[in-house]
Amino acid sequence: MHAWLVFAVLALVLWGITGITQKLSTNRISSERSFLWFCWAMVALSAAVLIVAHPHWNLARAVVICSVAGGALNGLGAWTSFRALESGGKASVVISLISLYPLLTVGLAVLFLHERLTLTQTAGAVTAIAAAILLSIESQPKIVA
Amino acid sequence: MTHKGFMNEENQLKTLPLWLLWSLATIVLWGTWGLVSKIASSGVDAYVNQLLYTAGLAPLLIFVAWTVRKNAEAEKSQGRAAGVFWAFLTGILGGVGNLAFFQALVTGGNASVVAPVTALFPMVTVVLALLFLKEKLGRTQWVGLTLAFVAIYLLSA
Repeated sequence: MHAWLVFAVLALVLWGITGITQKLSTNRISSERSFLWFCWAMVALSAAVLIVAHPHWNLARAVVICSVAGGALNGLGAWTSFRALESGGKASVVISLISLYPLLTVGLAVLFLHERLTLTQTAGAVTAIAAAILLSIESQPKIVA
Repeated sequence: MTHKGFMNEENQLKTLPLWLLWSLATIVLWGTWGLVSKIASSGVDAYVNQLLYTAGLAPLLIFVAWTVRKNAEAEKSQGRAAGVFWAFLTGILGGVGNLAFFQALVTGGNASVVAPVTALFPMVTVVLALLFLKEKLGRTQWVGLTLAFVAIYLLSA
């Protein structure tokens, strides 16, 4: 198995668990407060990384800009997804629609990074997006807290 | 573009529901995140990427903190500690998930493949809800779950 696939599946599993913990949180507090503490946890984790990992800091400016932009884009994306749900969008529709985001990543990666997908991988990407949409439908867990 | 044409487009934009605009914005923001993360992974390890990612979150953190403070009185305090605990745990799990995502890109995964694989995370949520919360899955979700496994197999080929 490829190393990248092991890490990608690990990310998938951890983010999947957050689907439950996030719901357990927003059942008790507002989405804003939940998001705030989500961010504080990121800060705490980063502090731990700084102490434990001894990262190297010889970085190109473009790389730093992309990394920082990554945090801003992902955070803003989480915030706009909350806004979409609070603006009257049905959860099943909003989450299914948002599940299309990898399609844009694929398009941008092909366009700007000149990545090439094999026919099998293209079929896989399309299947993944279809699967994510189908999983999102009726996926609002009814948690009795 | 004529003035009339511009006005028509403006009216059309006004009729778009707000939730749709926010959803489209989310697609653009998250879709672009995959791209910039891949570019960053060419010159930075997963740990530094996570540190800089958190720096990028900082302005939003300040804004959300201000919003929470403003609305604090209207919010009920019952169950707050438990809610905060789950939110914090979400952040830790999400952050470690980010590290794994960045490492997938650093170890040679293409953004065009890693992004669709990791976007399948609802499959885990659905399975956990089935196992621990005793939720029942609809037929659509069973199809989705099956397709998710097929997708991972195809993408790893």
